[in-house]
Amino acid sequence: MSNIELIDLTKHYRRGAHLIRALDGVSLQIRGGEFLSIVGRSGSGKTTLLDVLGLLLRPTTGSVHINGVDTARLSDGRRADLRGRQIGFIFQEYNLLPALDVVENVMLPLRYAKTGVKSHRGRALQLLEMVGLSDRIHHRPDELSGGEQQRVAIARALVNRPAVILADEPTGAVDTQTAQGLIRLLKELNREQKVTIIIVTHDLDVAAQTDRVIGLKDGRVFRDDPALANAS
Amino acid sequence: MMETFRNLTRRKLRSILTISGIVIGIFALTTMGALAERFNQQLEGGVTYYESNIQVGVPDGQLVALLPLSKMEAITSVTGVDAVFPTYSFLLKPGSGFSFGGAPESIVNRIPQQTPREQPPTSIAQGRDLNPTASREVVLGSKLAIEFRKHIGDTFDLPVKPASAGPEFVNHTFTVVGILNPTGTAPDGFALVTTPDARTLLADSLPQVIQRSVDLSQVAPEFTVYGKPGASIGQLDEIARQINRQVSGVKATEPSVPVNGFKQFAALFTTITTAAALLALVIGGLSVVNTMIMAVSERVREIGLKKAVGAHTGDVLREYLMEAGFIGLIGGVGGYVLGFGLTGLINASNGASPLFLITPKLTILVIGFAVVLGSLAGVLPALRAARLDPVTALRTSN
Repeated sequence: MSNIELIDLTKHYRRGAHLIRALDGVSLQIRGGEFLSIVGRSGSGKTTLLDVLGLLLRPTTGSVHINGVDTARLSDGRRADLRGRQIGFIFQEYNLLPALDVVENVMLPLRYAKTGVKSHRGRALQLLEMVGLSDRIHHRPDELSGGEQQRVAIARALVNRPAVILADEPTGAVDTQTAQGLIRLLKELNREQKVTIIIVTHDLDVAAQTDRVIGLKDGRVFRDDPALANAS
Repeated sequence: MMETFRNLTRRKLRSILTISGIVIGIFALTTMGALAERFNQQLEGGVTYYESNIQVGVPDGQLVALLPLSKMEAITSVTGVDAVFPTYSFLLKPGSGFSFGGAPESIVNRIPQQTPREQPPTSIAQGRDLNPTASREVVLGSKLAIEFRKHIGDTFDLPVKPASAGPEFVNHTFTVVGILNPTGTAPDGFALVTTPDARTLLADSLPQVIQRSVDLSQVAPEFTVYGKPGASIGQLDEIARQINRQVSGVKATEPSVPVNGFKQFAALFTTITTAAALLALVIGGLSVVNTMIMAVSERVREIGLKKAVGAHTGDVLREYLMEAGFIGLIGGVGGYVLGFGLTGLINASNGASPLFLITPKLTILVIGFAVVLGSLAGVLPALRAARLDPVTALRTSN
């Protein structure tokens, strides 16, 4: 389990004459094994925060420490390696590769991990069984429902045994019932595999099911409430 | 590899059109290359022949192309000369001119002592060599045996009577005693006879007035002069110059003159055929560039996803180069197979005079070239893909 520490993060963009402060001094500590959500309106900076956390984006100032490693000092290649080994991603639009079948999609991160994993396929099949898709392994993404595709994406996010999963609106493209099933699955994974799960969402019902809710507004943390779930 | 293949099948029509461009280019390169290979094989035979000896003929301006055999002794005494032989050579079909299949088919005298020195070397495939004391025997080159459907023991009238020949045309009946192994060069079109028989044929070819005034047993149209074994072309050139200085009434040609002519012609021919094929390939290459740029544009999110799950810039670059190279490979194999089939068909219909020669070197060259062309055409799109910012790529709406 890895600890994540964000220290005074800023991310500024220049659009014409305007300076946009997508993140404006965000500091957070996330312990290994947490199940938390980041909420906020559109433009609040939550997706930018997720991108910085996922090492997809370098902050303008400040730093992201993962297990004590200052990721700002790492080269792009080392950041890609760290991303591949430590971070799993789940996206609203699933982002499965249409040329690959289900099991190949799950195995994709292993293609780029220089970890010498031997039984790639075995690991992928095990995860597909866990997410309830062992009978769909040879299907192409376009042959699956939205909920099934997102479960494939969850299996893909887990295949490298990451310390943290970053989910960007994971229930945004599915119906309420399917959304509930997906959140239940993520909760189980968090509980059983002790993987840190960070969900970015604008859906307060989803946020209410997490153990900690971080609210963002204008690029700043305006709420960090570990008791929201209990309170609701 | 499977992903690469499936990506191609996602846009079937576009992939087919792109691959067709490469197929046409490689088909052109294969056929043009095979034409050049065959041509060069024949020119190589000419080079090998002319590099091995010095041709001595009559001086410029002499009307009757006959040399007294007595000159052979004078030539033998020139420093560096190892042996001199009289050479008789006539067109197999009088009146026939240049044939695209290479050197013209000829009747040539064969001298047992000269045979081991001949380049390219010839060997008997069927039957036996000429008996120097027998008359009216002929050994045929492989091409002639096929062209005239001759077997050992068959008769063959030489020279071959042309359709336009008048009543004065004379030829003689020879018996085929041997057939040579193919060489791919001039000797394949030779009918080899003994020197006495060659003299008879020479007499037939000369006007009556010359036949009556010249002792044909004491003349030859040309001499073939050999230097010491292992003599370089430079040394043969020097011997030729010495002959011209020391022996009057003859003209020795420096071997480097025809050899350089052959080499220049071969280079020119190869350049022309290759340039024509390359032009077709450039068009094929551009279609690969276009297809790969389209593929990158369509797969921006996929590239973003791959980077998100740990792909390095180099990984993405490699995958797209592989895809472009794969297009090149499929197009290359397709074009090569088409070219191989068509040249084979034309060669088969051409019987004894193949026009094309597909060598292992040409095979490796054309398929390797297709892969390299595809990969090169993929460099720009692949760089574009590899340099994509993952955040922007992931949020793209394709």
